Amino acid sequence: MAADFKTAQPVEYYRRFLKEDVRPDGRELGEIRHTTLNIGSITTAEGSALVKLGNTTVICGIKAELCNPTAEEPKKGFVVPNVDLPPLCSPRFRPGPPSEQAQVVSQLMADIIQNSGVVALEDLCIVEGKLCWVLYCDMLCLDYDGNVVDTCVISLLAALKNVLLPEVRVSEETGDPVTDMEKKLPLNIRKCPVATTFGVFDDHYLFTDPTNEEECLATGVLTIVTTEDNKICCMHKPGGTPLSESRLQDCINRALTRAEEVRKLIHETINSVER
Amino acid sequence: MATEQTLRSFGCEQNLLSRPDGSANFTQGDTTVLAAVYGPGEVKMSEEIIDKATLRVIFKPKVGLPGCAEKFQERVLRNTCESVVLATLHPRSAINIILQIIQDSGSLLSCCVNAACVALMDAAVPMKCLVSAVTCALTEEGQIVLDPDSKQEKESSAVLTFAFDSRENNVITCSTKGCYTPEQYQESLSACREASKNISSFFRQAVEKRMSKELKVKT
Amino acid sequence: MPGDSRRIAGPQDSRAPHWFGRQQETHQEAGGTRQDGRGDHDLRPVYLHTGVVSQATGSAYMEMGQTKVIAAVYGPREISRREEFTMKGRLCCELKFATFSCRQRRQHIQDNQERDGSLIVLQALEPAVCLDKFPKSQVDVYITVLQDDGSALAAAITCAALGLADAGVMMYDVVVGCSVRQCGEDQWLDPSVREEFRPEVESAGDHGMVTVGLLPSLNQVSALVLDGHLQQQTAVQAVKTCISGCQGIYPILKDCLVSSTRRNVPSLEQKSGQTSTDGQNGQT
Repeated sequence: MAADFKTAQPVEYYRRFLKEDVRPDGRELGEIRHTTLNIGSITTAEGSALVKLGNTTVICGIKAELCNPTAEEPKKGFVVPNVDLPPLCSPRFRPGPPSEQAQVVSQLMADIIQNSGVVALEDLCIVEGKLCWVLYCDMLCLDYDGNVVDTCVISLLAALKNVLLPEVRVSEETGDPVTDMEKKLPLNIRKCPVATTFGVFDDHYLFTDPTNEEECLATGVLTIVTTEDNKICCMHKPGGTPLSESRLQDCINRALTRAEEVRKLIHETINSVER
Repeated sequence: MATEQTLRSFGCEQNLLSRPDGSANFTQGDTTVLAAVYGPGEVKMSEEIIDKATLRVIFKPKVGLPGCAEKFQERVLRNTCESVVLATLHPRSAINIILQIIQDSGSLLSCCVNAACVALMDAAVPMKCLVSAVTCALTEEGQIVLDPDSKQEKESSAVLTFAFDSRENNVITCSTKGCYTPEQYQESLSACREASKNISSFFRQAVEKRMSKELKVKT
Repeated sequence: MPGDSRRIAGPQDSRAPHWFGRQQETHQEAGGTRQDGRGDHDLRPVYLHTGVVSQATGSAYMEMGQTKVIAAVYGPREISRREEFTMKGRLCCELKFATFSCRQRRQHIQDNQERDGSLIVLQALEPAVCLDKFPKSQVDVYITVLQDDGSALAAAITCAALGLADAGVMMYDVVVGCSVRQCGEDQWLDPSVREEFRPEVESAGDHGMVTVGLLPSLNQVSALVLDGHLQQQTAVQAVKTCISGCQGIYPILKDCLVSSTRRNVPSLEQKSGQTSTDGQNGQT
């Protein structure tokens, strides 16, 4: 009976739950799904992390390669984030080139990396104007149940913290680079950005961490990315319900608290993994 | 904290293209965007939504092919327009908004939003309210510069763009670059909100001017 | 990736660091014991799990040593492209290697190996699926290799079949895949990526890789891939080794299906004594 009602009147179904300050999956409005983290499971990647936020699963693998820096910025390396939403993760996606959604999330990741300064591109330079690292950060969604942005940011940060780069020297005779695959160095992570996404329902109810269903019904979403020095490095509200200043401030405060929890989780997971 | 409270000179020209249903050219300083609106018209079968109109925004950069960054802007602009257009009045139809960048010298996103809004008015697409956008930049010293040009944007530590609805002046869209504190955010927000009122009233004047002209022609 | 405007572009040209490595890579030498200490005909530890993708009709995850494969099944659903009416349903397979799955970074765009792999998996599964049970519709199987440490194709076949079973798609039997690497006199079951390595200059002796897809309870072979050059007798022997390998994986797969059904249907828990494995597979 409940299932039929849900199919026929999804909005009304949802409204009745929210009236009682609870969501259909049993969470409170401000509650975030259980987050689990697995670091370093892909040994073919220089760094990797698998994150589950409820059902939503994202795996991030980072491959490091050597290349020439650009002439305009000879002291800088590259970080190339790409989010893949394959047809495997949800029936909404079809095989073929990246969907608009994938492109938008990829761009958001690129913005977050740039704005937060999580990795200083200067750290990736080996020889000025000659040789630098490029980090291909590929985030692959394995299960799309809403809020991929938050999940992608956690997986990216955890994978970056997991990266070990082989030592590179430039041989004096030939000028060619020589890598020492035995000796590996971690990457210097300057900032820890964490994203928190909010959904607005019926232009009134504000809830955190929307699931796929909730994202479809929401009248607006808002993503706030904060770093550990309590600064905002991305505030992304693409249209939707207009929000007042006080509600935005409320969201910022909640995002700051959530970010602290996630950083603690990442820290604990890294410490528990013997390397 | 001091604020440079002035917007660059802005202006718009409506109905300058003959083929689209509505068009507008919006200028903020040297930044110019040309917007054209087609619709409500026929929709592609695959994009049809049964209870409302499908809104599409095509963002055309000055040179080169659109990439991920342009797709991202397109999505932001589309969602912004979707939240003001009364799409349920035209089910199973399409409204296309084409934004051609003529020149980008800073505050591009806000100029695009404003151009789209004027073009939608020109096409007589029913809307809940108007949307007006303002960009501001935060300098290294924490000073707020409203409506920055490209040089100011480059030198700043953060650039924030807000779009407000014209009824209650709440935030419809927010898109930011760079790092800033929550306090700086709130200050920028209020500064932009004040400035957006200028743009809203300008929209009103522009429409009045155009309507009075048309009425004169008819009588 | 030049010319792909739908992804964030990196530099024009880059190379993996191991290109410049000083020390040579170690590969499995002929005649020696295997690097992980296995016997020549031993399988690596296998881990199987179903129901990993919440959005899919059915899904499965498989680990064979370090090889990690995930498969999701969607359908039966409407055929996306309008085609002529068919009484038979359609099965579609797509095999993809994640960009970080191998030592050398892979590209986002489907390459030849992935295209061939998709076809082989499709051909291995088709005989097992009752296509006539869902006319006018299609079942999509998407397989992603998260890490390739050898025998990825065999793992993909097994994982896809398990995903189909989890989705409740009617099947005559499940399909189990297994590979054998023949290197001179040595025959290694379930090779790792180091054992799969083929030197540029091959010796005159037997060299090749055999992958078999087996319908274990019917004892029929649904797919057979052989590359390299093997003498007829060696080839037959290699196929036999593959089949015994498949029979070794089959009980693990059966156990996995039984326990997943128990999880999904709690009422079975009380009368678990009577449940037969046939009932669990549903369609076998």
